[in-house]
Amino acid sequence: MKVLTANRLIDGEVVFWKQGQWVERFGDADLFADDDPKAEAAEAHGKNQPTVVVEPYLIDLVESEGLWAPVSYRERIRALGPSNLPHGKQTEGGAAIEALLHAHGGARSKGRVDLIKRK
Amino acid sequence: MYQYDTIDKDMLADRTAEFRGQVARRLAGELNEDQFKPLRLRNGLYLQLHAYMLRIAVPYGSLNPTQLRKLAWIGRTYDKGYGHFTTRTNLQFHWIKLSDAPDIMDHLAEVDMHAIQTSGNCIRNVSADPYAGATAEEIDDPRVWAEAIRQWSTVHPEFSWLPRKFKIAVTAAPKDRTAAKTHDIGLNLKRARDGALGFEVMVGGGLGRMPYIAPTIRQFLPVTRLFSYLEAILRVYNRHGRRDNIHKARIKVLVAALGRDEFASQVEAEWEKIGTAADLPDTEIARIRGAFTPKAFETLPAVSEALEAARAATPAFARFVRNNLKPHKVAGYGIVEVALKAIGETPGDATSEQMEAVADLAERYGQNDIRVTHEQNLVLPHVKLDDVPAVWAALAEAGLATPNMNLISDIIACPGLDYCALANARAISVAQNIAAKFADPDRAEKVGELKVKISGCINACGHHHVGHIGILGVDKKGEEFYQLTLGGSGAEDASVGQALGPALPYDKVADAVDTLVETYLRERQDGERFLDTFRRTGVAPFKEAVYADAN
Amino acid sequence: MPMRISLTDGAFSLTEDPFTAVSDDWAIPQGDVIISLTRFQAEGEGLLSEGRKVGVRLESHEEVEALAYDLPRLSVVALAFPKFGDGRAYTHARLLRDRFEFKGEVRAVGDVLREQAGFMVRCGFDAFEPADGSTPEDWERATHRFRHVYQRSTDRRAPAFAERGE
Repeated sequence: MKVLTANRLIDGEVVFWKQGQWVERFGDADLFADDDPKAEAAEAHGKNQPTVVVEPYLIDLVESEGLWAPVSYRERIRALGPSNLPHGKQTEGGAAIEALLHAHGGARSKGRVDLIKRK
Repeated sequence: MYQYDTIDKDMLADRTAEFRGQVARRLAGELNEDQFKPLRLRNGLYLQLHAYMLRIAVPYGSLNPTQLRKLAWIGRTYDKGYGHFTTRTNLQFHWIKLSDAPDIMDHLAEVDMHAIQTSGNCIRNVSADPYAGATAEEIDDPRVWAEAIRQWSTVHPEFSWLPRKFKIAVTAAPKDRTAAKTHDIGLNLKRARDGALGFEVMVGGGLGRMPYIAPTIRQFLPVTRLFSYLEAILRVYNRHGRRDNIHKARIKVLVAALGRDEFASQVEAEWEKIGTAADLPDTEIARIRGAFTPKAFETLPAVSEALEAARAATPAFARFVRNNLKPHKVAGYGIVEVALKAIGETPGDATSEQMEAVADLAERYGQNDIRVTHEQNLVLPHVKLDDVPAVWAALAEAGLATPNMNLISDIIACPGLDYCALANARAISVAQNIAAKFADPDRAEKVGELKVKISGCINACGHHHVGHIGILGVDKKGEEFYQLTLGGSGAEDASVGQALGPALPYDKVADAVDTLVETYLRERQDGERFLDTFRRTGVAPFKEAVYADAN
Repeated sequence: MPMRISLTDGAFSLTEDPFTAVSDDWAIPQGDVIISLTRFQAEGEGLLSEGRKVGVRLESHEEVEALAYDLPRLSVVALAFPKFGDGRAYTHARLLRDRFEFKGEVRAVGDVLREQAGFMVRCGFDAFEPADGSTPEDWERATHRFRHVYQRSTDRRAPAFAERGE
């Protein structure tokens, strides 16, 4: 499974694609099956919104507590906030946040790999 | 402190107006991100994991209370009530909105502050000895030169689009508190036998992927010729630095590729053509120098009865004096280190309240003078010894009196994967885990001087290459692993750390450091620091101890 | 006729460009031309002897010294910015003006954006082919962003320390 993520241009907030909008909660994001062409279509759409978001990319997910979480630790930090202070999205709490906090998995996010290769 | 005149203030106002226009054009889609990114970097704005990060310049680490209070206010108003002091003595805010950035620049300009050229492929903040003007050891005040270089490098017409970033440090004492030899240019003030003032010029140091200690390309450059010589160095770099590969683009690669002698001769040839036209007039140097004479010091006895009495009465205060109070050039005064390294806190972070506490102390007891060190602490450079007990009490109340300067829990750590888009692994929690193991101040003092430096990625913002123990976060199959190095130093005895062994997982790092310390305590002879013991024994006993445990 | 932005006596205007930029694999047409350094080294003498005006386009990795001998006979040196962040042309322009005393046109070509106008003008460029659709008025505004400068440069603006001396 995948979701599409980006940073909002105006304030840098981490956002996720949900039905043509950009939402702040990972738990609200649209889920794409791994071979769903709608994933790439959404990414292309995001890249066509240069005054809304910066660098949208797809990330891989893993199951956690019946919900979903990013496979990569970096993306979990983006979805939660930093681990040294109670700041950012994690302060909301709730099941989706708990699932993120307890997720396991070590493989890299495909989206992140693509970004590195592009450089 | 240097006072901004109308020209300096106009520069800040014009720069803010320029940036405001650029932000508006970006938001309107008239600039794309590729065109805008280098512009926002040159105004200190990074897009990080959670938000924009703003890196505010603290030129040569120098602040007055009004400025520090403004930073506290900005942290409270536009961020989450804290800031992070960096290894280049700047201040970072981690939760900034692009839309607020121009307003923040205006607020900074009100107190003669800015974020100009704190990022981007240009000349960055010039650093200098944080004890400048307070230490008896200095040949000349390095801040004079750092300020002159700051102005010269600001919106430089020819050198603002370099192959890569460019960092300059100025040191003026036998003890180097700037890591000058790991800079693109390190300038070491010295006197010739006839008393003439000059610089030893070192070029091509750097950390990052390939650490280099800068070779000396000129033993003595008369200070009056500084700017023509800098122009020669920058011109050779601008022309011949690599632009095909971002990882090979620093001047250190050019110096290594040409060799020190060939590089030096290219600089000298260009310098000869430039001549003296590019040098700064003596009147301008004298004008800048005039700004740095401190207020008159009182005539005081070398020993303060008040301080001695407090030391005798309060062991905690005695410990603070032992570790955090440094000798001042004037009898009866001391240099007070303000620790941003409380056990369990984030190294280098200060809350807005803590910033205000330090501002108050500088105003009341410190000649309005505050410094930032490249090891992420603050300094009150001019405090009467008689006042140190009161200063300590106030610092302690604000959580700024941890008596661990240069000890193992005085850890340098970059923000790492918790904040930074470049990072592979976390650095802050690794620092906290290590500090927790050495929370006992007796144990920390027993270990003595030990600089632990942690970077979350190869960009080495945590200066791990020059840590006595260096820790580098790497990404192994998506998990956080850490490569340890030993024996690095960023001081005048600069050296690059040597790898200890295979990378360790996150939950093994603090134990490994514990083991390294135990090994040192077992092996050390007569007053050796950790660094000295390692330099004598080599890596073998340490590697054996750590990896035997890890099996 | 194609246009470029010219800077004359401190004013920006759109002027007709009499020069044709000719790439290495095209035949050289009549009239005034701008050709590559390699082509100039091969065919420049001949073209100049025909009485036409000749310009040379210098890529960012090429050395401006290679033109030193011929500069008195050149009308234009076009300095290329392959990407706007490749700042070598700033050095090339300064050397052309300050070291070789080139009096012809120094033109910025390639990834030329108004955001870098101020740097270009200070280094001695006096003609521009913008890649971002910017106008002479845009360039006029962009070069007046800073009331003061800290350094001496090719443009001979009084640096801050000279202003302070007054």
